[in-house]
Amino acid sequence: MAIVWVMIGAAVWAGTLLVCRRRMERAYGAVDAVLDDALAGREAAPLAADRDTRLSKLAHKAAKVARLREAAACQVEREKETIQSFISDMSHQMKTPLASIRMYTDLLGEGGLSQEEREEFLRYTRENTDKLQWMTDSLIKMSRLEIGAIELAPVPAGIRGTIADSISSVQGAAARRDVTIRTESFPDAAALHDRRWTAEALANILENAVKYSAPHGQVVIGAERLPLFTKVVVTNWGRGIAPEEQSAVFRRFYRGKNAGDTDGAGLGLYISSLIMEKQGGYILVDSVPGQRTSFSLFLQNCKE
Amino acid sequence: MPILFARGLKKYYGRESDPVRALDGVSLSVEEGEFVVIVGQSGSGKSTLLHILGGLDRPTGGTVTVDGRVLGKMTDEQLTVFRRRNIGFVFQSYNLVPILDVYENIVLPVELDGDPIDRPFVEGVIDALGLRGLKKRLPSMLSGGQQQRVAIARAMVTKPAILLADEPTGNLDSRTSQDVLGLLKMTSTRFHQTVVMITHNEQIAQLADRVIHIEDGRIVGGEA
Repeated sequence: MAIVWVMIGAAVWAGTLLVCRRRMERAYGAVDAVLDDALAGREAAPLAADRDTRLSKLAHKAAKVARLREAAACQVEREKETIQSFISDMSHQMKTPLASIRMYTDLLGEGGLSQEEREEFLRYTRENTDKLQWMTDSLIKMSRLEIGAIELAPVPAGIRGTIADSISSVQGAAARRDVTIRTESFPDAAALHDRRWTAEALANILENAVKYSAPHGQVVIGAERLPLFTKVVVTNWGRGIAPEEQSAVFRRFYRGKNAGDTDGAGLGLYISSLIMEKQGGYILVDSVPGQRTSFSLFLQNCKE
Repeated sequence: MPILFARGLKKYYGRESDPVRALDGVSLSVEEGEFVVIVGQSGSGKSTLLHILGGLDRPTGGTVTVDGRVLGKMTDEQLTVFRRRNIGFVFQSYNLVPILDVYENIVLPVELDGDPIDRPFVEGVIDALGLRGLKKRLPSMLSGGQQQRVAIARAMVTKPAILLADEPTGNLDSRTSQDVLGLLKMTSTRFHQTVVMITHNEQIAQLADRVIHIEDGRIVGGEA
């Protein structure tokens, strides 16, 4: 009798095992199908993806993995395009000063020039060399910032010292154009920033402000503490930037339509915005064409 | 392949013979990781557009594809689950649960889906949005700007394919708005989160990778 019971028990047990195994197999099969879909980049079967079941969650995760992989591939493709356009932009930018240097040195080599002419041509050559020098320096800085070879070290520090640093680096340019740099009074606030690089970002903004100011004009620097960011504002009065151009000015090699023949390569603002981005801040511009332009740098406040 | 893709979207209301055209043939696409801003006056159809992109409303015509899936083909039930897993929303009102603290509010959508919480990620988002010190507070003890930051964190922790924000700072003063939007941008860059945001703040649109202008239910400018 006991044997019969044992046999029945064993049969039930085996049956249960069999059913379980079938279910497992079905689930495996379904997950497998989902992964195949993901690998092949096919749309996951809607029945699997949008139900409140475990299998559906797995399907969803598999789809996410596939999406990330695809996004990474697209990213690589975009970067390639960026590099290509960058190289063409760059060679274009370097052509003009190189051609000028070539021309003036040729002229100087030919001889038969008056002392005055020689001095003038030498000066032009010098100016264009300076321009190339400045461009290569900027390009190196830019690429090192872009690839992360330069690591910014944002630490809590007062913004006054940083602002003072940036002002001293543009004093000369301001004096040449007879532009006054005035600082409004504001309480010194501690913000998270890398002093050296933030001063550089700010100096680029100031340099532009001086360059595009009306002669004998003034540039005003102010600061304001917001709940999360400390805002440093640089305002100048001059030709200004049209609203439709305002988001373009931070692009690499972008030169404003109003820039005219003012010297520049379209790198300064781009580098400034890179620097701000690297330390968790950002820049905005606000301008009324023909009147004033304000650039605002936002630095993260120290966390409580 | 774009993460979000909309083609020929139309939304008509009222009489068939003379309908009100809230959207009249809008097509756009958004790439993974992009921060896109839609700018338009009130009544331009921008909110309708965002609701349709997020599967909260169905269009009269046209299709929306999110992460390779066509929203129009789904049943309401499927759409609900799909939205929960793939689309994060931030609205003008924060809609925080008053009896839950900040941390509980943030992880609520993950818990509702029965998923384990990816703690390092959640903590990273909390830090990036400056909410570390506020984790144990109840929503009633927070300022508007702080509440909106919680709402942004909540929308991000499910790692949605896209985050849709409808005038997220509409209820905030201009200084706080700038703060919150700047932070939203920084956080989305850091976590590679795709964002489509509606705003009337032209200045903040400078932070966008792309700006789309909409007027009378049509795209009138920008790169769609």
